[in-house]
Amino acid sequence: MAEKFDLQEREVWDGNYAASQAMRQAKVDVMAAYPITPSTPIVENYGAYVANGYVDGEFVMVESEHAAMSACVGASAAGGRVATATSSQGFALMVEVLYQASGMRLPIVLNVVNRALASPLNVRGDHADMYLGRDSGWIQMDAFNSQEAYDLALCAFKIGENHSVRLPVMVHQDGFITSHTAQNVYPLTDEAAYNFVGEIDPVDDMLDFSRPVTYGAQTEEDWHFEHKAKQHKALMDSVPVIEDVFAEFEKVSGRKYKRVESYMMEDAEVAIVALGTTVETSRVAALRMREQGIKAGVVAPRVFRPFPFDEIRDALENVKSVAVLDRSSPGGAMGAFYNEVSAALYTTENRPLVTNYIYGLGGRDFAVKDAMDIFADQKANADAGHITTDIQQFSGLRGPKLGFFKTKRG
Amino acid sequence: MQDLKLCAQDKRGIHELEAGKDLIGWDEVTQGSVLPSFEGDASNVAHLKQEERCYSDFNSYTATVASWRVKKPVFNIDVCIDCQNCWVWCPDTSIISRDKQMLGIDYDHCKGCEVCVEVCPTNPKSLLMFAEQEDLETALSQWPEKKKKEK
Amino acid sequence: MIEIRWHSRAGQGAVTGAKSLGDIVATTGKEVQAFALYGSAKRGAALRAYNRIDDEPIITHEKFMYPDYVLVIDPALAMTDDITMNDKETTKYIITTHLDKESLIKEIPALQGKEDRVFVVDCIQISLDTIGRSIPNAPMLGAFVKVSGMFELDYFLENMKRVLAKFPQKIIDGNMQAITRAYNEVK
Repeated sequence: MAEKFDLQEREVWDGNYAASQAMRQAKVDVMAAYPITPSTPIVENYGAYVANGYVDGEFVMVESEHAAMSACVGASAAGGRVATATSSQGFALMVEVLYQASGMRLPIVLNVVNRALASPLNVRGDHADMYLGRDSGWIQMDAFNSQEAYDLALCAFKIGENHSVRLPVMVHQDGFITSHTAQNVYPLTDEAAYNFVGEIDPVDDMLDFSRPVTYGAQTEEDWHFEHKAKQHKALMDSVPVIEDVFAEFEKVSGRKYKRVESYMMEDAEVAIVALGTTVETSRVAALRMREQGIKAGVVAPRVFRPFPFDEIRDALENVKSVAVLDRSSPGGAMGAFYNEVSAALYTTENRPLVTNYIYGLGGRDFAVKDAMDIFADQKANADAGHITTDIQQFSGLRGPKLGFFKTKRG
Repeated sequence: MQDLKLCAQDKRGIHELEAGKDLIGWDEVTQGSVLPSFEGDASNVAHLKQEERCYSDFNSYTATVASWRVKKPVFNIDVCIDCQNCWVWCPDTSIISRDKQMLGIDYDHCKGCEVCVEVCPTNPKSLLMFAEQEDLETALSQWPEKKKKEK
Repeated sequence: MIEIRWHSRAGQGAVTGAKSLGDIVATTGKEVQAFALYGSAKRGAALRAYNRIDDEPIITHEKFMYPDYVLVIDPALAMTDDITMNDKETTKYIITTHLDKESLIKEIPALQGKEDRVFVVDCIQISLDTIGRSIPNAPMLGAFVKVSGMFELDYFLENMKRVLAKFPQKIIDGNMQAITRAYNEVK
């Protein structure tokens, strides 16, 4: 039996510590990990819980992130509750196995502490790694602060392990800005947390000797497409389960989560759409814009995959001008998030103006003032009835103004 | 002809692998392309012989690749020393051996690769390749003599 | 909202100091934030740590701030780092130094005209005397308690004992003495 961990009703935890506590409370059976900044403390703390008897699970040391996720695949296929954490280069090395995990429908939980991808080398937060996972077939949820990193990690097990979902789940938090920022966190008791998450009920587990199964079958052009389509359907169909789990979590915690979070959008004329901590900083900016008489709001996908095409559209269709913020170097295109939001808005009656801002790469500070400047651009667009700036701009970048493409509307 | 259905259930090798047939759609394929090998409770399966096991259609037991073969190995029980070399090396698990006694070939799954012949240590070999249509009697009647060591 | 900026070197405990302060402030029912802008991760490299304290949940995640307090726990950084950056007319400075206030302000032109908002305390000497190592974070907390008037000293000491619970008694006692001495000596 695991030792009792002393928890206060109100803790001051950073995002890493919060996530590691969720791993402890969920009684993870196997954590295989290869630590990397800034997610190191998640697995380090879990290792300490194992060493000090606070969990009965196994900590598996491996030789790379590729091996870490491979070990997670094995342990999950065996029927265990499995989790790990990574960032950036480690995430990139894991990518091959991420597709294996989702293709095999293994409900592994991966805490991703978002960090930029080299080169140049950088340990700080941007969303390059998060974007790298966006086609991998995982559910991706996004925490905007430490409390949410804890809450969503608990929800992740319950969503992924649900028999009608059976998919791996990533919980993202911003490197350093969330992972190393201590804030008030209100944890559940161990008992309440475990009762909420529940016991894992394995499917096709390899340790069931009465029913031997093959994992990792080869399927060529005669079968592969059907399997991938079924997997995609499962990801799309996870929506009601995600919503149910959020509703159940609200009952035990009082904290309400939605697939798309909207702030001050009831009467908004201009909006910022963002991910991560930027959502909250932008809320501060929206309040200040409202003091100036500009009806500003903020929209943020809590669930990045499956992409909330429907709810994003509902949240934004009556706005005049929208700024979509991408915290990842777009590599020769508009930001990926911009493209997805734009596609959703293209199918609305109103078709708001949509512009793209690249910002915060490598952990560049995104200040309230930066968000206010973006709101001011949107207000100018709304008043003019067309996009007045380049469609893609860069916020917080030194040097001559950089931008790409002009609108053909208006 | 040799016993083509040596130690076989009725459903061993009953359909051609990759034969054109109506394949099921995305809604019917297994979750995660996970394939159970047996029907029903298989707890004891390790202790059962192949022909006693209840293989599922996901297992290649019910499929045949016999037509892939150009030549077939023929087994001569009179020369065999039951060393199990062929059983170990056969890439398609097509050597049938019971209680460490070599019985013959699973011709539904043998692709005629000739590895068994290659690894057979007896003199003459206990396994030799013959034309697919050659019957057992004729093949055995053509079996070579023991080779003498040349000095 | 109260905002605090720490100027420190890696290894002097500013991050731990900021987190401990956050932890203790949270016990009073406030919402807190504690984070750091790490320089090179090597011991001795300059770094800044930050606290925010408010009655409402803190949702800004910018590093940028107009600090209400600037806590400098390395004497050389007071000279070389831009400690008055983004300050306000009310920003209070607590600076580790062996100098008296007048001599220090003479050395740092940016502090001139702000004499009534500058406080000095020798956190390095206090930590050497009480903890036995140059860990100036704990004494700075004592000085902050005095200057801010945010807590009663006894309340702070009691809670600091809880924060330090995992350490040996000798270390806890040393920290208690360090906080108390700095509380009494800050000028």
